[in-house]
Amino acid sequence: MTEYLIRRAVQSVLVLFLVSVISFALMHAAPGGPLMVMLPKGGSQQAILAQEKNAGLLDPMPIQYLHWLGQLLHGNLGYTYKNHVPVGQILWPTVGNTLILMGVAWVLSLLIAIPWGIYNSTRTYGISDNISTVLAYLGFAMPAFWFGILLQEFLSLDLNWFPLSDMYSMNKQGNIGDLIWHLILPVCVLVLVFLASYLKYSRASMLEVLHMDYVRTARAKGAPEKHVIYRHALRNALIPIITVLGLDLPNLVSGAALTENVFNWPGMGRLFVEMAFAREYAVLMAITMLGAVFVVIGNLLADILYAIVDPRVQLGKKGGTAA
Amino acid sequence: MSQTPVSTDVVETAQLDPTKMDFSAEGSAAPPTSLTKIAVRKFVSNPFAIFGAIILAIFVVMCAFAPLFTHFKPAAIDMMNASVPPGTDGHLLGTDEIGRDVFARLLYGGRVSLIVGFCVAFCAVVLGTLIGAVAGYFGGWVDMVLMRLVDVMNSIPALFLNILVLSLFGSGFWLMITILSLTSWMGVARLVRGTFLQLREMQYVQAARAIGVSNWSIITKHLIRNATAPIIVNATLQIGNAILTESALSYLGLGVQPPQTSWGLMLNNAQEFMLTNPMEAVYPGLCILLVVLSINFIGDSLRDAIDPRTKVKISRRRLKKWRNRFSKSGI
Amino acid sequence: MAEPILEIRNLKTGFVTESGIVKALDGVSITIEKGQVVCLVGESGSGKSVTSLNVMRLSDYDGGIVLEGEILFHGEDLVKKSQEDMRKIRGSKIAMIFQEPMNALNPVFTVGDQIAETLRLHKGMSKEEAQRKAVEMLRKVGIPEPEIRAKQYPHEMSGGMCQRVVIAMALVCRPELVIADEPTTALDVTVQAQILDLLRELQSELHTSILLITHDMGVAAEMADRIAVMYAGTIVEEGTVEEIFSQPHHPYTIGLLNSIPGFEGQRGTELYTIKGSIPSLANLPTGCRFHPRCPFATDKCRAEEPSLLEIGSGRRAACWYAEEVALKAKEQGAVIVSGKGE
Repeated sequence: MTEYLIRRAVQSVLVLFLVSVISFALMHAAPGGPLMVMLPKGGSQQAILAQEKNAGLLDPMPIQYLHWLGQLLHGNLGYTYKNHVPVGQILWPTVGNTLILMGVAWVLSLLIAIPWGIYNSTRTYGISDNISTVLAYLGFAMPAFWFGILLQEFLSLDLNWFPLSDMYSMNKQGNIGDLIWHLILPVCVLVLVFLASYLKYSRASMLEVLHMDYVRTARAKGAPEKHVIYRHALRNALIPIITVLGLDLPNLVSGAALTENVFNWPGMGRLFVEMAFAREYAVLMAITMLGAVFVVIGNLLADILYAIVDPRVQLGKKGGTAA
Repeated sequence: MSQTPVSTDVVETAQLDPTKMDFSAEGSAAPPTSLTKIAVRKFVSNPFAIFGAIILAIFVVMCAFAPLFTHFKPAAIDMMNASVPPGTDGHLLGTDEIGRDVFARLLYGGRVSLIVGFCVAFCAVVLGTLIGAVAGYFGGWVDMVLMRLVDVMNSIPALFLNILVLSLFGSGFWLMITILSLTSWMGVARLVRGTFLQLREMQYVQAARAIGVSNWSIITKHLIRNATAPIIVNATLQIGNAILTESALSYLGLGVQPPQTSWGLMLNNAQEFMLTNPMEAVYPGLCILLVVLSINFIGDSLRDAIDPRTKVKISRRRLKKWRNRFSKSGI
Repeated sequence: MAEPILEIRNLKTGFVTESGIVKALDGVSITIEKGQVVCLVGESGSGKSVTSLNVMRLSDYDGGIVLEGEILFHGEDLVKKSQEDMRKIRGSKIAMIFQEPMNALNPVFTVGDQIAETLRLHKGMSKEEAQRKAVEMLRKVGIPEPEIRAKQYPHEMSGGMCQRVVIAMALVCRPELVIADEPTTALDVTVQAQILDLLRELQSELHTSILLITHDMGVAAEMADRIAVMYAGTIVEEGTVEEIFSQPHHPYTIGLLNSIPGFEGQRGTELYTIKGSIPSLANLPTGCRFHPRCPFATDKCRAEEPSLLEIGSGRRAACWYAEEVALKAKEQGAVIVSGKGE
């Protein structure tokens, strides 16, 4: 198991390295090039030094890349073009906000999807199962941001039940109750999006497992049905669910980013779009890298969980498929 | 998951499956029906597939021949008739805040959404098949490199990459199609690679190799044909995804640029005028929902049709009913 | 005559599907006495496994329903029992051995845990006690180093080893009846013999009755006291091993006997092979369900269905021409004496 995890960790580092290469290449292809991204315009000593160093961009690409990577690893994400603010300064506060929104929605949808999916797998094509199928189809086919707009129109503007947008009301910064109040609509949107795939997968993998021979063996032993489902079947059904959770992470981040824009939530996704219009490449690079780091770490966690749940991983049988 | 080998028991229960018995019954009387024919029959008899196909066809026809269905121009501004309710002066769905006909905009916007959807799906599938085929067929370090590329692409949230590229290089219709294709080929590549890895050890592929058939024709003739069915299913679902991503990008203002329009861009517009014209936000979203829903119906029905395992869809209530009526056993 | 432990009477069952009920068993009657090994033999698709799942009432979970008949276990009708009552019987009084040991074991639990689970469910043993008993049972089924093996997962064992574990799991509560569904089919030939030996050994030691389901006449010959031949959801012939092998009365039985590879050399003239395949119960032929494949079929066979009639003490066959068939088989010298070796 350790060997498997080490291999996965090495792979993750490699993937992140390649992501950084792609980011750098894109940045280099951008009009203006990386110099503009990396340096404050004004005249700090350090900046001028760096500017001289990079003068004319004559250094070969790999050297430039290594320099950029070095800065990145030292936590220097660069400076914004407009106000020469360090990128970190405007980026880090948004990260927390995004995590709040995404985390709440993610946990909530897992808490709903897994038990519900299990229930549906034991009562297929019943009322509850049909409702969840409809929900899943809607979640897959509906543009999340449109659902958000509809909620805003009908629940905020017409009925005035929930705030239209933002994270806090005026003068209520940091008020937990107010935060929850503002969270409800965006979380609803995200939950529907996440729920669609989670419901589908938890039901499907549970159904698959319930038809396995070992489930019949458990029944033949005289195990009560609850025991059969929650002990014998669930543990096996979790294995593919964990994989899907890992694979679904990028969609999670994308979905959250979109929802932030609908509800003007001060998170990474909104910042990203804002900065895209302002052409603040340094911020865009930083967020892209951060997104990748998040996904890669998430996948690594999924792998660890996978190895805990499935004893067969110890032999490395499952190690072949990359996350 | 590993495939469970076919056991006698499986065969026995399979014989109890009514659909399978139909096949065997026909098999003895008439020449055996081909798998494709069975799949087609299954597909056509699925109400969801028919529903999806009809809705999609309506949308495609109406958008493709938009001028036949409306004489308004989608970008024609008419301040005299701004925000009129549906039905006024031939404006089927009314006009927006600067007097553009909503129905016309839906039809012409739909063109963009549908074209993006189909183009992206096509490019992504071609690209994915190519990469997956090369990786799966050659294996070894080629496979290793290509699969790391898949990993990399999969670990950057696609929306971020799309926005990044569009903001770096400027928004545009074809650039959008390109970047959407470049960020959605990974699923197909994995699928094709998986199929190839399985098939390339098969005897007939080995035999073809032994008699000197070129790599290229082994890939195209023997292997891709075997992977066609799942690729088609995946392609179908890609269309829906591409339409959704396009609408998201256009909604953010990074996709299609005015005077061109798309459903996503219309939603961007509509959000600003939520108070005065709430229905404007409903129509384009509904269009996206219907189109993607019907495409997903078609894709899922295709998958079911291709899957040789017929699932017995029977509800617990029905089971209970039958059981109460016929069964002598206790509960 | 010993006391019957299991008596299946005219069992008719089916499965609920989208298009209604599909029949699976069409009148099965079997009696198993205490300490007896009864073999249910037939091609795949004849309903052997369904019979076993019905006895355990496990078919309920796959949409199976009992249409008619009784399954008497110690005189109590299992058909009428609730799943909760059945649960108490399963594993403790009637246990089951499945055909694919690798799939029958849960991949995420150690084999020791899986054996111990049965004990904990039925005997209410503590964790430690159950584990100790499980190790003991593993030793009994011939697994070397049972203490270490008990802590291993199924994927760390070979197929034969897994089947020993499954057998241990089935026998650990000392059930009165064990249903073994093709216990050796998925295994290598050498391992098959070992598993059969083990089963017989344990059977004589624990005095359990066994209902052994197999498609292999050779296995039946080796293991059984009585054989019931099954075809298309019903029993077509029944008798002791010697009777079935020395004087088969049903053409289908003769066909099955001829299909034993070992008999081929001694067979001399070829009697016939069973042509065609087993019909589904949804479209059974008219008359005798075997007639389209039967070389002796007459108009009577095509028109009327023969019932399973007593042709000797405890000897039954469902054929209009049972006597003639038996004679003919003897004349042709097609059938040799029992495989048990007198």
